[in-house]
Amino acid sequence: MGTFFQKAADYTKDAISAGKYLLQGLAVTFDHMRRRPITVQYPYEKLIPSERYRGRIHYEFDKCIACEVCVRVCPINLPVVDWVMNKETKKKELRNYSIDFGVCIFCGNCVEYCPTNCLSMTEEYELAAFDRHNLNFDNVALGRLPTNVTTDPSVIALKELAYLPKGVMDPHELDKNSPRAGKLPSEVSVKTIENNKASVGEKT
Amino acid sequence: MTIATSTELICFLILSSVIVSGALGVVLIDNIVYSAFLLGGVFMSVAGLYLLLNASFVAAAQILVYVGAVNVLILFAIMLVNKQEELKPIKGLKIRRFFSGCVCAGLLALLFRVDITTNWATPGPKAIGEIATERIGEHLFTDYLLPFELASVLLLMAMIGAIVLARRDVISIELESTDSIPQNIINNSTDNVLLDQSSD
Amino acid sequence: MFTTLKIVLIAVVNPGLDLERSFNHLLQGMGLPSSIAHLLWLPLPMLLVLTAALIGVLVTVWLERKISAAAQQRVGPEYAGALGILQPMADGLKLLVKEDIIPHKADSLLFTLGPILVLIPVILSWLIVPFGQNLLISNVGIGIFLWIALSSIQPIGLLMSGYASNNKYSLLGGLRAAAQSISYEIPLALAVLAVVMMSNSLSTVDIVNQQNTTGLFSWNIFRQPVGFLIFWICALAECERLPFDLPEAEEELVAGYQTEYAGMKFALFYLGSYINLILSSLLVSILYLGGWGFPIPIDLITNSLGQSPNAPVIQILAATIGIIMTVFKTYFLVFLAILLRWTTPRVRIDQLLDLGWKFLLPIALVNLLFTAALKLAFPIAFGG
Ligand code: SF4
Ligand code: SF4
Repeated sequence: MGTFFQKAADYTKDAISAGKYLLQGLAVTFDHMRRRPITVQYPYEKLIPSERYRGRIHYEFDKCIACEVCVRVCPINLPVVDWVMNKETKKKELRNYSIDFGVCIFCGNCVEYCPTNCLSMTEEYELAAFDRHNLNFDNVALGRLPTNVTTDPSVIALKELAYLPKGVMDPHELDKNSPRAGKLPSEVSVKTIENNKASVGEKT
Repeated sequence: MTIATSTELICFLILSSVIVSGALGVVLIDNIVYSAFLLGGVFMSVAGLYLLLNASFVAAAQILVYVGAVNVLILFAIMLVNKQEELKPIKGLKIRRFFSGCVCAGLLALLFRVDITTNWATPGPKAIGEIATERIGEHLFTDYLLPFELASVLLLMAMIGAIVLARRDVISIELESTDSIPQNIINNSTDNVLLDQSSD
Repeated sequence: MFTTLKIVLIAVVNPGLDLERSFNHLLQGMGLPSSIAHLLWLPLPMLLVLTAALIGVLVTVWLERKISAAAQQRVGPEYAGALGILQPMADGLKLLVKEDIIPHKADSLLFTLGPILVLIPVILSWLIVPFGQNLLISNVGIGIFLWIALSSIQPIGLLMSGYASNNKYSLLGGLRAAAQSISYEIPLALAVLAVVMMSNSLSTVDIVNQQNTTGLFSWNIFRQPVGFLIFWICALAECERLPFDLPEAEEELVAGYQTEYAGMKFALFYLGSYINLILSSLLVSILYLGGWGFPIPIDLITNSLGQSPNAPVIQILAATIGIIMTVFKTYFLVFLAILLRWTTPRVRIDQLLDLGWKFLLPIALVNLLFTAALKLAFPIAFGG
């Protein structure tokens, strides 16, 4: 009987907390309603993609060992690794490598699992082409680096919402050196390092 | 004849013709989905008849139970079990049809006889209209208590039966025992994955 | 005998605005017999309510677009009329003149009948929606039960259109809609039953009157908070609003049972779903938020001002306040539904059935039992 009441109590607690979270969510949506639209004049102004942005994949031909791990972890077995077995050296010889970005879902699995780190994700997202076959990037195209938004002289780079100071919504006319909300990783780590040092000092 | 009685008569005629033709359609139409939809129409027209008799609560209950639950479940079952099956022509279908027609005609004759011989008191008891709901509740909890409870026990039994049938613990065991077959297929197909491509 | 006495009592105590009587008096004054006057009166409230429902839909569509836009920091419709007020009108006109396509392999009879069968019960349910003491089409005795019964016809129409479209997505959508509306009808009816138990009547007018004895604090939401939540969740599920919009889940089923529909037939579905949303909000406000009642009882105000509540001006004023209150409460709930739409993600079908059968149904039963116990224990507060 005790377990039954325990279960019932847990269930009620869960139900109440679910209701609480629902109300929190509603409050967030409600809060969003007072925010006004902010327009980024796209081709002239661009948002700076965040550090972990998953854009077009960059690939280094020389590092690749043709292990096909990327093919196996890809949800759709997308990367094409074209290699031949060299009979003399008993080694694989890589001839071509390509990824079709018309099919890729930019999940980043291949990047995550590549044993030699020859794959990486770039910030490039402007992949529009007139012909969908142009989206099938070979190893040369995959090896190109995209133009950085911040270094492009024809573009005004704007900070994303998460990089703005607290309470600021509009990235226009913002002081370049204004800090983002919260602490930088370096600030946090210095403090933790100091704490660690203090604790170590106590011990010795 | 006042406006009220004539509209009542017209409504009655329309409803009863819909009921009769709809019921015939349920039995005679080949497409089972059409039959089910027609059944819904028949139920609704019966509810209309109840409305004409000033029994609005019974009419609403009829719609709620028969149209909203029974008929939807029938449709559900038909649509979920949508198996295409070649039906073999039954032997002696004509004779069978003839006999079943005879049985139906006999039943109909019986009903007609009951209809004619019974002394229907016209006008019947006065319709109580709005307070019918209370009266039905009173009856359900006094003189009809036993049938009411029996019906609920019956429904409970049906529900438990359905749950037992739906659980089907047996099937999962069968599935587990068939695991080895796909394994074999995979083994056979992965024999020479690493092809020697240097010759070309 | 008792009910008639009660009706007479209500008529004496709070006659409210009776437009029908005034209308009949007017026509009889012009020399028409009373039966003809009655016949002339009959279609008027229906037309009025139908227009009200349509205008309500237009306003709701506009609100939905504007509020959605605001929640997503967009501007929303802007060019059709001031602030895009005419946008729903433009949408409707577009659907009206669009080609009405019936797919080649569809069952054209059932395909046409489906949307009609979905819309008619929803519109019929407006019969019982009161905007004031006498401001409703008909105060039928079975009141709220009529709505529950009528809303159970809808899944048949959905199944019909799903089957007739001859499309797997449509069929799945129709089946889901039917399963959903069957499973949520039961807790809904149980929640309503608890309210009915407190007001001793199925009639919507009686339910509202019972809540308006002492203004704000006698509203059912304070006596039936659990019932209110159950009813609101079930109403959202019946309307296929967002946390429960599985029958038309875009990502899985294209548009569910509406996939093959275009033009006016699609407009019927669209209209049906929005009328249903307004209807549900109206019924929530009637069952739980005191319907046309002002937070402070009108009688109290008139008495303190030294006016008789039966004076024509006061009556018209009270009726206007009643309509405004009803509409205000309704649109507050519509707003809540739209907010919920952009807050909650869609539930899975198993979660949906889980919530309906394993959570709402037992809670609704407990709520009903609890209400019955409270009614026996405190007959004053819970309608003896
Ligand atoms: S996982 Fe990396 S190393 Fe292996 S084939 Fe793919 S890209 Fe080359
Ligand atoms: S990003 Fe994902 S989808 Fe694209 S190639 Fe890599 S694993 Fe495949």
